[in-house]
Amino acid sequence: MSFLNVRPILSALCRSWTGPALVAAQIALTLAVLVNAIYIVKQRLEKIDRPTGIDVDNIFVIRSAGITDKFAHEATIRADLVYLRSVPGVVAVTPIDFPPLSDRGNRLGVMLKANDQAHGVRTSYYEVDDQALAALGLRLIAGRPFRQDDILSPRSGVGPITPVHDVIVTQSLAKMLYPNENPVGKTLYDTFGFLSSPATIVGIIDRMQGSRLSSDSADRVLLAPRLPYPDEPVAHYLVRTRPGQRNLIMGSVEKHLQDSSSDRMIEWIRPLSYFKHRSYLADRNMGIFLIAVTVMLLAITSTGIYGLATFNVRTRTKQIGIRRALGAQRADIISYFLIENWLVTTAGVIAGCALALEAGFWLSRHYGLPRLDLYYLVGGIPIIWALGQLAAWYPAWRASRLSPAIATRNV
Amino acid sequence: MFGYYLRLALKSCARDPGVTALIVFAVGLGIGVCVMTLTVYHAMSSNPIWWKGERLYAVTMDSWPPERPANSDQPSLPPTQLTHADATYLFHSSIPTRRVIMYPVAGVVMSSHESKPLKVASRVTSSDFFSAFDVPFLYGSGWGAQADTGAEPVIVLSHDINGTLFGGVNSVGRTIRWNDHEFRVIGVLAQWQPQPKFYDLTTGSFNEPEGAYVPWGWSRARQLRSSGTTRCWKVETIDTFEQLVGSECAWVQMWLELGSATARDRMQAYIDTYWAEQRKGGRFQRPRNNRLSDVAQWLEDNQVVHSDDRLLVGLAFCFLGVCLLNTIGLLLAKFLNAAAVAGVRRALGASRGQIFNQHLVQAGLLAVAGSFLGLALSLLLLLAVRALYDDPETGGGGFQALTHFHAIGIVWAIALALLSLLIAGVYPAWRIGRVPPARYLKSQ
Repeated sequence: MSFLNVRPILSALCRSWTGPALVAAQIALTLAVLVNAIYIVKQRLEKIDRPTGIDVDNIFVIRSAGITDKFAHEATIRADLVYLRSVPGVVAVTPIDFPPLSDRGNRLGVMLKANDQAHGVRTSYYEVDDQALAALGLRLIAGRPFRQDDILSPRSGVGPITPVHDVIVTQSLAKMLYPNENPVGKTLYDTFGFLSSPATIVGIIDRMQGSRLSSDSADRVLLAPRLPYPDEPVAHYLVRTRPGQRNLIMGSVEKHLQDSSSDRMIEWIRPLSYFKHRSYLADRNMGIFLIAVTVMLLAITSTGIYGLATFNVRTRTKQIGIRRALGAQRADIISYFLIENWLVTTAGVIAGCALALEAGFWLSRHYGLPRLDLYYLVGGIPIIWALGQLAAWYPAWRASRLSPAIATRNV
Repeated sequence: MFGYYLRLALKSCARDPGVTALIVFAVGLGIGVCVMTLTVYHAMSSNPIWWKGERLYAVTMDSWPPERPANSDQPSLPPTQLTHADATYLFHSSIPTRRVIMYPVAGVVMSSHESKPLKVASRVTSSDFFSAFDVPFLYGSGWGAQADTGAEPVIVLSHDINGTLFGGVNSVGRTIRWNDHEFRVIGVLAQWQPQPKFYDLTTGSFNEPEGAYVPWGWSRARQLRSSGTTRCWKVETIDTFEQLVGSECAWVQMWLELGSATARDRMQAYIDTYWAEQRKGGRFQRPRNNRLSDVAQWLEDNQVVHSDDRLLVGLAFCFLGVCLLNTIGLLLAKFLNAAAVAGVRRALGASRGQIFNQHLVQAGLLAVAGSFLGLALSLLLLLAVRALYDDPETGGGGFQALTHFHAIGIVWAIALALLSLLIAGVYPAWRIGRVPPARYLKSQ
């Protein structure tokens, strides 16, 4: 058995080229979709897997809203915090204006000089208290955490607000503002008047993701020591529990909080993972859809390859018998069909490479995706080859089982 | 003749059920995936109030500072909302037929003092809201313009909230508590679910419309802040509601109904004049960018259709393409396997055209079967999409309605089946007609 056999196979292919050409076209399209789909899915997975810096699995969030004019916002927050911190199994609790990792939250432009709007850096801004670092599971890498006497009263929306003097920022924000210096003790200004002019950076946390996770400002977070009042008498409590106790405690605190006052309602209690899940829902679903369509494509294409091989075997039954009668081994028959399949697949792969690159280029131009990585193309080719050989194996094996005697009969 | 061809086609399909099933399955899968993505895409990209395309306009003005645009991704666009001062000034223009000034607010509703409070997303808006957006009423009606200025305690409920609070009966005239204040129900909406929620895209393009609507006067009377987005750029003290009202923060939404092209031009000129006056006073330092955007433009500017969704439609058609290529191959094999029969028919006097027609009927039969399977599959796929987007907070994030199977899905299935027939059926049918009959007669 040698590759000299390729010539008669090629000339047979050229004689009836429509079937093979159709299969090659399918393979080309499949390869183009496969490579680009896997590339897009990989990017989405990387995006979803970015570290949050937060102990997401052991945290849940409570939303409490005042519903009557008698509602006392600050007093309720203080009472709720005392209660939640007394629950066994709770590690730490912080009030916060919006749950992190969600698509809601305040964003604040900060800069090094007052009124320097042009150089404003967009950040996620959160109002928390002195247990924030423990409640979120954040790691402080420089400076100090907030102290109890740092914590300011809420922005209640009625009188003058004391601006925030001390802030804690994430490392990525600190590096952006002060790339070459130790940022602890340095100052910053904001575009909103939330902070005093200027405010001082007292602590740096290693990492934390804020709101709107698809934006590039997601990991630039600024924490302010203030009880929250997000434009309405609402507070979120972020409760971190010991591992494994989250669901139990989530179920047990609602009744006490709801019964403590008829001037407010507990709107919901949710695990923090819910917000992360929601933020990435579109990315996850895009991934699922791409994978599902790609798998279906591979399945359809293999039936096409299988169908072509079966058809070829059926129309060439007599020739196979003659070859067998003239001394060809079973292995020769199998290899004939596998080589034929490989030639068709390879023609498809060559066209597919061009198509995949073109599609990748087009996607990067029109959808702002990064250019297709060539490794993916190189990785996709053996998959298609293997698929072709597998799909053609059974018809080829069937052909090899044909009796040489068949050559003497009319078919 | 057609009936005879159909009988022949059925016979031929029964002869090799495996290949027939494979063909129907391939066509069905391709059509199913396409119809599913197209249904979702159509729902996303449709204009839910197309009949007012030439009359409804969203008003935006670029009040941002000269250093940076409101949205760095689309620097040519003004912010999507107006400052309170600009919106209230434009609201008093007499040029528009109808004027809507509004923003979403958080609401808590109790049907009586004792009942459990219910969180109801609400909207504070002017009286023209209902007529400008053609909102249908089940009971009662909206309020008059005097209720806006005087802050009359009247409220309009959505169909669903009326169902929750009053079991769906006519509740006009009943009293409820909204944000700890007594309101009289004056209207109940019929089912109304514009998809996308064009009139306010800031809180999710496919969210449900609000459950309660209160007159614009309550904005100031109750110092209601927006529960949607408030965007500010200027360093200014905003401790109180009055300071927010006087600030450069953009948080008020405005729509106008303009009866004619002339009215539209006059309104544009009116806004530009106001802009120029304000600019002299030091505001509006960016280049003039005052827009009256119709609904279609508004949906496009706000990028309601995500680029992922376009990509998915492209992918679905790629998939259909592969399915059809596969079908051509299978049909060709199927026809050529039975070439002997065609050879005999040709020898007995059938013309090439007749052989072609006969096989095209067969391909057509398979395409029809495929499109039925495709429709059924697309229903299943839409259910799957709905499950993927399931969300306790927004009840499917609007995908509930988005994935409703529309008549448009059936139209697409028929169109795609015809397309499949043309692409996949014509060539094999033509090929089989060209087969010389003598070859098959000899070997018999």
